[in-house]
Parts: sequence; structure tokens; C-alpha cells
Amino acid sequence: MTNGIIAGAVYALFAVGLTLVYGVFRFINFAHGELIAWGAYLTLAFSALIPFGAAIFPAVALTVLIALTQERYVYAPLRKKTGITLLIASIGLSYFLRNGLRLLWGSDLQSFGFEAARGLVFFGITVSRTQIAMFLAAVIFLGFVWGLLRFTMLGKGLRAAADSLELAEIVGIDMKKIRRAVWIISAVFAASGGILIAIDTNLEPMMGIANLLKAFAAVLLGGAGNVWGALLGGLFIGIAENLGVAFFSPGYKDAISFALIIAILLFKPTGIFAIMKGMR
Amino acid sequence: MDYLYHILVIALIYVIFASSLNLELGYAGLYNFGHVAFFAIGAYTSALLSLAGFSPAASMAIAVLCSAASGALLAVPALRLSGDYFGIATLAFGELARLFALNERWLTKGPMGLPGIPRPLGIEAGISGIPVYFFFTVTITAAVLLILRKTTMSPFGRALKVVREDEFVARAFGKNVFSLKVRAVAMGSLFAGLAGALYAHFVTYISPYDFSLNETILVLLCVVLGGKGTLSGPVLGAFVIILFQELLRFLPIPTDWGRFVSPIQGMIYGAVLVILMLKRPEGIIPEHRT
Amino acid sequence: MLTIENVTKSFGGLSAVCGVSLQLGKTPITGLVGPNGSGKTTLFHMITGFYSVDKGRVFLEDREITNLKPHLISRMGLLRTFQHTRVLPFLSTLENLIAAAPLQRGESLVQLFLRPGAVRKDERKNAQKAREVLDTIKLQPLAGELAGRLSYGQQRLLELGRILMADPRVIMLDEPTAGINPSLVRDLVRVIRGLTGVGIQVFLIEHNMPLVMELCDRVLVMDAGGLIFEGSPHEAVKDKAVIEAYLGKARDASKS
Repeated sequence: MTNGIIAGAVYALFAVGLTLVYGVFRFINFAHGELIAWGAYLTLAFSALIPFGAAIFPAVALTVLIALTQERYVYAPLRKKTGITLLIASIGLSYFLRNGLRLLWGSDLQSFGFEAARGLVFFGITVSRTQIAMFLAAVIFLGFVWGLLRFTMLGKGLRAAADSLELAEIVGIDMKKIRRAVWIISAVFAASGGILIAIDTNLEPMMGIANLLKAFAAVLLGGAGNVWGALLGGLFIGIAENLGVAFFSPGYKDAISFALIIAILLFKPTGIFAIMKGMR
Repeated sequence: MDYLYHILVIALIYVIFASSLNLELGYAGLYNFGHVAFFAIGAYTSALLSLAGFSPAASMAIAVLCSAASGALLAVPALRLSGDYFGIATLAFGELARLFALNERWLTKGPMGLPGIPRPLGIEAGISGIPVYFFFTVTITAAVLLILRKTTMSPFGRALKVVREDEFVARAFGKNVFSLKVRAVAMGSLFAGLAGALYAHFVTYISPYDFSLNETILVLLCVVLGGKGTLSGPVLGAFVIILFQELLRFLPIPTDWGRFVSPIQGMIYGAVLVILMLKRPEGIIPEHRT
Repeated sequence: MLTIENVTKSFGGLSAVCGVSLQLGKTPITGLVGPNGSGKTTLFHMITGFYSVDKGRVFLEDREITNLKPHLISRMGLLRTFQHTRVLPFLSTLENLIAAAPLQRGESLVQLFLRPGAVRKDERKNAQKAREVLDTIKLQPLAGELAGRLSYGQQRLLELGRILMADPRVIMLDEPTAGINPSLVRDLVRVIRGLTGVGIQVFLIEHNMPLVMELCDRVLVMDAGGLIFEGSPHEAVKDKAVIEAYLGKARDASKS
């Protein structure tokens, strides 16, 4: 159960980033998964040169750069075309980035090489130090986003843009700044989350898309574009996955997200956790 | 020479596979990213039936019907979703199908796969049977293309295009949009299943790893590169992609670097998709004269 | 011919159409006018099945069509255009017309493969009819042109042509002359008048008041979701409620 909450916190990070992108750009960015993976792998690469703690920063920065490059050269030019063109382009981009990963680091499992985490015991629950770090990091990031949305001009701009792109532009909100902010935030979240997950499990090329689909299920649970919903959705998926493996074979762990995606789209496409207004 | 036949058979199988996706994507405007599931259903059904003792030809026929039926069954709920979401839902379905094949070992032998699939019509197993299989596949591909030609160059095909371009107009002029879409998916799934069955009996060993996201992207590329919404587009696309893929194996690459081939190939495919969308989304053979 | 009984529709808390009842068929051409936002297009959508009806009923010649799917209503002979032109831009003018023909046996896969002769016969018949319609709307020189290349007015004419292809009994036109140059308006009017000659009922939404006066024998006025007037166009412009509805909107507009 605790594992579920902690995994869920990281999924929430991914989901919030994804839902921000959807809220402002109105499209499903398949390549978001690769930001997760590249964040982790770049950290691996840099940590060969500098200490792990320092390696995180250039890794995240480079991932942000990847996201901004995607926007500049692929997504911005395609914005006026039909939604499907963007979808296919993002699928192509995701495939490109994923294979780039395989080219540079190979398909085998990699690891950051931390020793098996020693457990600490809180109120009878065992958590490893890594898990504490994951949870804290997730909380800090999510708290930051909450503060941003609530208290800053940028945040208000984001919420306005998510509500209505045209009106936001008419009212004079600088869409360029908003767009850049969204990519930066979602890339930072994705990369950090990827690093956190990789600390706990291993790195492998498919980690991007595997987590993307979970993030997407979380986004749908919360109602696309709804930040709080995405957060709750992420937690729900984390818990559901961990509880679910008690009932059916671990090979189906990922299937929970897929099945959820299909179920929500068919029965309640507006989301289940879309209770609070969040960004919409 | 045998190897040439091998490449051609794979190319022809992808011609059928891509053409079937084109019917849904290019003509009806349905972005079915889970199409590979029906390829898999056709392959596994035919393989399992023939391994259980049915004649391969009968197995293939039943497999094709199973694919068509599953397609129709999936279509009924899924078609309630709009474009983007339909794509995501079908993608999720495709992945679920793969996980099912991977986990239900009692049925599919899971990751071990199914070896020893017999060839139809008494065609020999192994390399010796390849040339005959080639002629078998050519005949079937020709028949499929003829059927698709008749289907698309007909009032049915025209109605599909109307649905694709403007559903409101379609409805305002008496077209039952839902029924048209379901029929398009059923037919697309039928031919995908046929391609899958042809594949299974050709390679004689299948496993869940043959039916992953990679195949989805490959067949999408065939359609989008060749030219969606045209008859010859997917044919061209399939040949270009498969020939490219197979010819890469012939390049004299030192074994040390062999592991780079697959990722570079993947990067090329991804890049081609992106560049196509940016520069020439209609593909090589455009549907409309501009 | 077309009877609407007390139909109502709300979106969330907003009432778009409220208790509207009317009957078409007393005169060949009926106009529906009213300030923007009065619910005219919503009413059209409700009649033709594109919106659901919350309360009330719709009848086409004694057959109830309330909440029927739009394609079924279309097949019963009730055809419509939309506020903005919706020709199929990548089909030719001729193909746009042929595609609109009803009851094409070739749209059934079974018929297509088992009775190819019948399908070919249908195609020939529809192609012939399409050429005749092209004549009527005077767009023959543009037969092979991609419909997306036509001018806005020509596209509107094409839309009328499509309706002609579909054997209509009642035609509902949503602002057919909006944004069209006067000479093409003349052509549109000619075609519309020709339609009534063969017994077809026309129901049209228009903002062009002089045109309404000229074309319509009867006019219905809507405001804020309700029907406020029914009668001849000449009486309409003198009716107090109607004047208030239009002036009221102007007053509100000038205040903000």
C-alpha cells in the first residue's frame, strides 16, 4: 500500500505535466514518455563524470532543451493542422527519441548502482530511504505547481489558457511565455520523475512509454486538463497497481492502466476525479 | 534467390496489412492504432487451429473470420470516441492484446511462442517451400487488392470518404455513419487477420514479440509514407519500407556495430514520420490532385 | 407537413428554446427570423435530429420524428443546409452531387458484391440526375472542379443542388444567402422558387429582411427561445413585440 502511494506520487508528477500540456495545447504528447526516459538516462551519463546529486541538474536541463526543441521544430509548425497530424508526429518523435536512447545506451537494463536501500520504520511501515526521497520530491514539485497556479501571474495565465486559448490571447496574455512555461514545467517533472523511478527500479528504453500510458490513464481519470484530477489519478493508479498484483499475475501490472484508459474513455470520458476545479 | 522470395513474401504480407489499415485510416478517417491486434489475432488463431490438427487452409479461413468479428466487436463501443481518443483507446487495446498473448501461457505458450506452424496446401516447411509460398501469397494479395479496389471505388467507398470529411453532411444526407464505420473496421480487421495468418504460416514460428508497438509504427509508416486514401499508396509504402528493412541486413557492417542497426533504423522511421507530417502529410502518392 | 409541438431544450442551466410550437405547410415558403441568439439554429438542429429534444414532439406528415437519428430523418425527405457552407472540398462538384443521392444500393457491401449490375444502374441513374441538377443550378462548367475551389456563393448553390439530389419533401435552409453577392442571390432565389413549384416545403432562417419580404409568404419570429409572432411579413414588421425584440437587442448592445 505504501509502495502504491509512493509510486502514485511519482505518477502524479508525470500526470500533472501531461495534463498541463493537454490543457494548454490540446493534444496528447506521445513523446512526453521519452522526456521521462531521457531524464533518467542523461543522469546516468552525467553521473559517470560528476557526483550523482550534481548530475541531476544538467540532465534535467538537457531534457528541458529537448522539450523546447520539440515544440519549436515540430509542434509549433503543426499546430494549425488537424489533431491527427500532431498525434502521428508525436508518435514518430517518440519512436525517434526512444531509439536514440537505444543507440546511445543499448537495450539492456541499467542501474544507477545505489546499494539496496536500507529500510526505516515509521509507525510499523517500512520505507526505504529512496522511497522517502521520491515521496518528498514529488510533494515539493507538486506543491510548487500548486503555488504557481494559485498565486502567480503565470499561474493565472496558465489557468486562463487552459480554459480558452482564444480568449487568453485576446485578453493579452503572452501565449509564447505560457507555452514555454508549460514545456519547462512538464519536462522538469517528467525528467525528475524519471530519475526517481530509475533510482527505485532500473533504466530500460521502454520506461518512457510504459510510464506515459500510466500517466495518461491518470490524466483521464482526473479529466484531461485538470491538474488536481491528474494528481489524484496518479495516486490512484499507483495504489491500484500495487493492490492489483495481489489478484492477478504481475505480468498484467501494466494492463491496469490500459484497461483503465479504455474503461474511462468508454464510460466516463470527463474523468472521475474531476471534482475540484483545478485548472479547468 | 530464396532470400529474394522471402523478402517479397514479407512485403506482400505488409501490402495486405497496410491496405487494410488504409481502409480504416485513409478512407474512413479512423485512426486505429491498435490494428496490429487483429494481425495478431489472425496469426495466433490460425496457428493454434492448425497446430491442433485442422488443415492450415481451414485454419486461415476461420482466423480471418475471427479477426473480422473481433474488429466489429471492438468497433461498436470504440466508435463512440472522437478521433484523438479513438486512437488512444485502440492503442491501449493493441497493448492489452499483446499482454494477453504474453501472459495467457495455457493458450498461447506466452513468450515461448508457437513453433512448427504447418504450411497450407501441402507447401513444404522450411526454405524449400518459400518459392511456392510466394506464388500462393501473390495470388491472395492480388485477390485482396481487387476486392479493395471494388470496395473503395464504389458508392460505399465514396460514402466512407463523406464520413471522413464531414460527418454532419453524411448524416444530413441519409448516411448511417456508425454502420459505415463499423463495416470499415470489420473489413479492415478481416484483411489484417488474413495478413497475420499468412505471416504465421510463412515464418512458422510466432511469439508475442512479433506483435508490438514496432509493428504498429511500421504499418502506420507504410500507409502514411505511401499515401493514405489511395489504393497504390500502401502498396508502394509496404515495398519501400520492407525492402529498406531487409536491405539493411545486407550492408557489410562489422559485427561490433551490428547492435546499432536496429536503433538507427528506428530513428529513421521516427524521423520519416515527423518529416512527412511536417512537409508532405499526404504521402508519396497523394489522394487529391492539388 | 412539419408540425412542432411545444419543444424545449436547455444547455446546462441555459434555456435555448422554450415551448415552441409551429406548423409548416400552410404556405410554400416560410421564413424564420429573429435577433441573434434567439434559438433559430438550435430549433433547426432539434427538428433535424442533430440536437436532442428535452420536451415536446416533432412530426413529419403524421410520423413522429422526435429524437430520431439525423440520417433517418433525412431519408424521410427532410433535408437541410448548415449555417456555414459544408461542401466536400476534395470531391468534384459533380461528385458532391452524386454522393448526396439517397438509397444507393452500392453503399451496401452485400449489394456491391452480389448485385453489381443493379449498383451500376443506380450509379448511371444518379450521374444522370446530377447532370440535370447541375443544369438547374447553372454550375455545369464547374462540374469537374474541386468543390473547395468554388466561390462561397457557388458552394451555397451546390448545397442546394445536393438537396435536390436527395428527393426532398421539406427543405430547411440556415441563412442561405449570408455573405453572397447579389447576382448569386438571384440564382439562389430562382432555385428556391423552383423548388416550391414541385410541391416542396421550404423553411428558411434569414437575416436579410428585404429578401424575406420578397420570398416568404409567412414568417415566424423568435426571440430568446420563444415564438413571438406568426403571420405575413408585412404584419411582422409592424408588430410591437417584434419591433421590441430587435430594438431591445440594439438597446442592450449600445449600453454595453
